[in-house]
Amino acid sequence: MWIACSARGSTLVIFLAARYSAPPTDRFLPTTTTVPNMGWEYSDKTKQIFMDAVQGKPGTHLGEIENPDGFGEHGSIACGDALRFTFRVERDPADPLKDVIVEARYLTFGCTSAIAASEALCTLIEQGGYTPIQALKITNGNIVDFLDGLPAQKIHCSVMGAEALEAAVFNWAQRRGVDLRELGVDIRPEEREEGRIVCQCFTLSEPDLKRKIRELGLKTIADITGAIKAGGACMSCHHVPGGLQDLLNQVWGPQPTVLKVLPSYPEPREGPPGSQDEISPFQFSKKVEKAMEEYIRPMLQQHGGDVELVDIKDTLLYVRLTGSCAGCAGAGQTQKLMIETTLKETVDERIRVIAV
Amino acid sequence: MASAADDVVYFDNNATTPVAPEVVEAMMPYLTTEYFNASSAYERARPVAEAVTRSRATLARFLGGVEPDTILFTSCATESVNAAIRGAVHANPHRRHIITTRVEHPAVLEVCKEMAGAGLEVTFLPVDRSGRLDTRDFIRALQPDTLLVAVMHANNETGVIFPIEELSRLTKETDPEILFFTDATQTAGKLPLDLRRTLPHADMLACSGHKLHAPKGVGALYVKRGTRCRPFMVGGHQESGRRAGTENVPFIVGMARAVELAEDRHDATVHRIRTLRDRLEKELTARIPCLEVNGHDAPRLPNTLNLAVHFIEGEGMLYQLNDHGICASSGSACTSGSLEPSHVLKAMRIPFTAIHGSVRFSLSRYTTEGEVDRVIEVFPTIVANLRRLSPYWDQRHDRPRPESEAMMREESSPAG
Repeated sequence: MWIACSARGSTLVIFLAARYSAPPTDRFLPTTTTVPNMGWEYSDKTKQIFMDAVQGKPGTHLGEIENPDGFGEHGSIACGDALRFTFRVERDPADPLKDVIVEARYLTFGCTSAIAASEALCTLIEQGGYTPIQALKITNGNIVDFLDGLPAQKIHCSVMGAEALEAAVFNWAQRRGVDLRELGVDIRPEEREEGRIVCQCFTLSEPDLKRKIRELGLKTIADITGAIKAGGACMSCHHVPGGLQDLLNQVWGPQPTVLKVLPSYPEPREGPPGSQDEISPFQFSKKVEKAMEEYIRPMLQQHGGDVELVDIKDTLLYVRLTGSCAGCAGAGQTQKLMIETTLKETVDERIRVIAV
Repeated sequence: MASAADDVVYFDNNATTPVAPEVVEAMMPYLTTEYFNASSAYERARPVAEAVTRSRATLARFLGGVEPDTILFTSCATESVNAAIRGAVHANPHRRHIITTRVEHPAVLEVCKEMAGAGLEVTFLPVDRSGRLDTRDFIRALQPDTLLVAVMHANNETGVIFPIEELSRLTKETDPEILFFTDATQTAGKLPLDLRRTLPHADMLACSGHKLHAPKGVGALYVKRGTRCRPFMVGGHQESGRRAGTENVPFIVGMARAVELAEDRHDATVHRIRTLRDRLEKELTARIPCLEVNGHDAPRLPNTLNLAVHFIEGEGMLYQLNDHGICASSGSACTSGSLEPSHVLKAMRIPFTAIHGSVRFSLSRYTTEGEVDRVIEVFPTIVANLRRLSPYWDQRHDRPRPESEAMMREESSPAG
């Protein structure tokens, strides 16, 4: 089974099984194995749904409902996928809880599986004839089932669908004056906005992560990354105090771990200029600049040329010849020698000039 | 098309190239009757040893007429890179600093990171928005204990060419003891490589067979005479003891044949490829709004076109191209198996709106005008299909949503 199947989800598989004929079991792919790279290890159904969607075939759900009854977004363009999900209900005049979702639409920025998962979400909802509260029972596991499986590193695409659905139902509840808390419905999209950010790359907070770890039954850092991307980029949140491993330990109890210390790269050091009994690098560069201004540049300018001091490293001077002589190799060599000789005489005999 | 099936439209030649039929032909004897070990003493093995000698001479001539004993045959460019960097580090324990760039191929980056983990200091030079290095940064990075400079000749993703002639000269003029290594995997066969005239300051150079129509499994490493570098593969005395392992004769012969083919009418071939690439670039940029050419302002390989398509994701484009029988690649996170987009595009600070939407078309001498036409015909529709689904696109007016438009100018962070 996929790494992501929540406690809520497992009851739902039964709930949904009554409504849908499950896909034939021989079409379930062994998706738990990690697929090396991409290789498009998608099921035929995922591929078909994607192609139908991008070609805008009848029966697909791309688009956005104007004045929707429920609106939810998840992800961002920086993360690499984002979903805007809207639905329309047939309103029950007496009881909003009896509203039935009749239309669901999506706009998705993301890969093949993200688009297929969005299509799957809308199809599941429309076919079910659910109330928004019932629709909440659709989990990412159901989306994965509908797609005949997803590769492990694409599970987050199905999670995105479930998240956007939750946000849209939350939005519907606000519009219709339904108190979800009173109904015991446990969705808290506001949690994402609060709490300490653990994964900076994908902006995921501690309460959000802990909830996901519990709900989706994530046991390892690899599980977390596969399901919700956290820790998949810079990986600096894996084993630091309060990092992903700590959160896993807090949820499931401590696990034996192998600590991996990533090396850090120090900044380039400044080159040590000369020994102690000599003038300071500051004094040295002042003298070089003075010589450049007083002797060298006027000389070059007489011939329509000029020189720019690029860098000084110890007694190495990097200069860029400009003006009329810049392109001419012979003249360049002559001028380089002239500059070098002048500086050797006026500043320090060890000076070497390198043309940049 | 060379050996690939006729219905495949192949635009992924920076990943690998189809094997030239002439190369296969040249290899066949050494896969069948001439199976002898090149190191064996008996008469029948002599032609096999001579084939290796001839191949080495071909490579030496191809790289600018260097001495044949400076060419080592390896199993791939990654091995060549490992041999160069590790060999240099082992042979120069008194120096502890390496300079490389943020946009190197993983073969270089990962070895350098490992060296950093082992206590060496590594400077990863940044690039600008077009993928260019700043010479000032390079000069600033040179230190008294710098051991090695490892800078690629051209980038595999964007095709941006680094001025290694200038960088190697600056390195040697600063300190002749610093070794200069370049990964020329993407340039061998596409740009002139002359280690005597234009690159006299390079000490080591790596290249690969399968990027120039030889099969996978063979590469080469040039090591200038007198370079302080220890062997990486240790064992038998093959390659004068500098690279152990029985010579992979058929593949070595194949690589040499591929090099001869690349030399043959090189300028005319490169001109033709460049013309095709330029047409592809011009037509696609004219037909598709909100499209950037990555590395546009930098000198680039003649065969590479890396596009950043705003507001859509790369994998969905590749998948539709695939449906049309077109092979290309993307630096998007979804295609890489990791969750992060290409380190090269990140180093270039490509905006978030486009960094996931990169597509690379890389051509070869087998690319035809008809194939370029095919891409020009289908790609704009592929982009439009995905934009119709994109929450950042104004479907009604076929343009970015106003709030998305501002995001197009926000540079992404190169960190991470």
